[in-house]
Amino acid sequence: MTDRVGSAGDARPVAPSGTASAGGSRGALVQAGPAVTGDVAVLPRARLDEVGTAVRVGDKRAHWRRRAAYAVMITYAVLMFTPFAWSLITSFKTQPDAVQLTFIPQPPTLDAWRYVFQNLDPSIFRLFANSAGIALAVTLTNLVLASIAGYAFARLRFPGRELLFLVVLATLMIPDQLRLVPVYLILNGFGLTRGPGQYLAVVLTMVIMGTNIFLMRQYFLSIPREIEEAARIDGASFFTTFSRVMLPLATPALAAVAILQFQGTWNAFFWPLIFLRDQSYFTVPIALTFFRGQGGFTTNYPPLMAVVVLSTVPVLILYIFFQRYFVEGIAASGVKG
Amino acid sequence: MTLRAAAGDPRASTGRSGRGEWFAGYAFIAVPMLLFLVLNIGSIVYSAYISVFQWNIRSGATGFLGLKNYQTALGDPTFHRAIQNSIYYAVIWVPLTMAVGLFLAVLVNQRLRGRTFFRAAYYFPAIASSAAVTILWIFLAAPDGFFNAVRAALGLNPLFAFFGYPPNQNWIGDAATALNSVILLNAWTTSGTFMLFYLASLQTISREVYEAAAIDGAGSWQTFWRITFPLLRPGHYFVATVAVIGALQLFDQAAIAGGPNGDPANALMTVVLYLYNQAFTRFDFDYAAAIGLILFAIIMTLTLIQRRVFGSAPTW
Repeated sequence: MTDRVGSAGDARPVAPSGTASAGGSRGALVQAGPAVTGDVAVLPRARLDEVGTAVRVGDKRAHWRRRAAYAVMITYAVLMFTPFAWSLITSFKTQPDAVQLTFIPQPPTLDAWRYVFQNLDPSIFRLFANSAGIALAVTLTNLVLASIAGYAFARLRFPGRELLFLVVLATLMIPDQLRLVPVYLILNGFGLTRGPGQYLAVVLTMVIMGTNIFLMRQYFLSIPREIEEAARIDGASFFTTFSRVMLPLATPALAAVAILQFQGTWNAFFWPLIFLRDQSYFTVPIALTFFRGQGGFTTNYPPLMAVVVLSTVPVLILYIFFQRYFVEGIAASGVKG
Repeated sequence: MTLRAAAGDPRASTGRSGRGEWFAGYAFIAVPMLLFLVLNIGSIVYSAYISVFQWNIRSGATGFLGLKNYQTALGDPTFHRAIQNSIYYAVIWVPLTMAVGLFLAVLVNQRLRGRTFFRAAYYFPAIASSAAVTILWIFLAAPDGFFNAVRAALGLNPLFAFFGYPPNQNWIGDAATALNSVILLNAWTTSGTFMLFYLASLQTISREVYEAAAIDGAGSWQTFWRITFPLLRPGHYFVATVAVIGALQLFDQAAIAGGPNGDPANALMTVVLYLYNQAFTRFDFDYAAAIGLILFAIIMTLTLIQRRVFGSAPTW
């Protein structure tokens, strides 16, 4: 378990490779070493006089290989995008045209978009505000809580630290939904299943995620100890050292946590489905499934596809601008919602 | 690795120890860990407690049941169906998505121009919400949807007819094809994530290994199967573990496409959907809690088995 999570972080840390990470990857290679040599020895060995030709033939082959690789990569990329392209095209169609295989809407219309902005109940603006509010709140609590806990686990020595961190790692393996009944009953006990408390209930279910604690700890471990020791010698308290010295240095990790957590919460389905009972509190994903179930909307595809497109826009913008954090953060945390 | 590194970190004893640091440590972790422990470990213990009582949402425990809920689960045909579906899903979806993810990772790990673009493109389906992609998929797979229209236009209908699918096959609405449709949907959205995991793993293989293979005259096919694939073992283990845990937690897509009963005819009933169903349509909280713990036991067992199969999680 610890190995599992540790390894992902080691393989591709968001952080500049710290001592711990470097050690991890090196260990991998050393252990893999003997096995490799064994395998290679089995392969047929080219005779010395053949080496020259082999290289020339290889060049030609490499040329064709590259072409084939591009052909496959482009085809696959087109396949990946087709469903999204189809939803975008459909959102500009009339209802009868939506079930035709026409790539250019006949006739193109903005009716579906007008419908989405004017006729939805709750309104699309309300839905976006609900989603944004919950996602921002969860992102903020995770940034604050994961950075202080991550720092303590990385740098402060106190009895029980290893055990507590082991507990954090272990919970990464526990299915989230196992918490459904107890968490619902606890929050219901606090009256958070009624009224605006529903928002708070959703935020609380995601208030602090183990992956974020893990990510922040790994990053703090990678920052040279001398930097904070200098601050400590100058008489700074633990908290000042953390907030003034270490936190600014951890900006890349904070950015990764913020972006991934915002995206995850924006898209969240399970907990909002459980706790958001009143329509006016719905987030975009919950509203989407609600609209689909509504009479008249079920087969009225163009507006439904317009909402699908619209719901993806915020995360798409994040993805375009902060792609690096997605790629490295996912590889480092090894967990995706 | 991580923990051992932390515990054995030589820098960990630079003599700044003392009560002050203990105090600071506890002060730092107090709030985050209190919330974390209550909402995670605490809730699992609470789950176990709930599962052995007759539970009422207003009055709490009303009578001791012992292991009765667990016995009920053993003989509950819908729960069996849910387990079957979840296992079928895992058995097909995990290898399929791993294979596609690995294939993509090897493709975009080549030194080709534009590989950053392709990486970004392949991960793209993973950024959209499960609700959006599922509703999109239902639309595409409808009787009058895009899939059926495309295969008709490509003249593939005779082939599909041979396998018994009419031109207006309702892929998600037909019990025979519903789960497979969800498998394809999730393979589409998750293969990019697995690609990223495999990329991270591929980059730990040193260039020298490949150079040695090239000198020895190994072709690219041979190189892949004899060198890359076996050296990726830590990657396989990691991706497989994450994938199996994820597969057994299948909920969003099944609930959106099939509702609380996993329609049509329980074809989309999964373990987690059944848990949700028992808690929120039948308000049988104690039984739902028991189902959650059974799922937890299944996941733990499978993870331990995987650990055995892949060796003792060796190289990380």
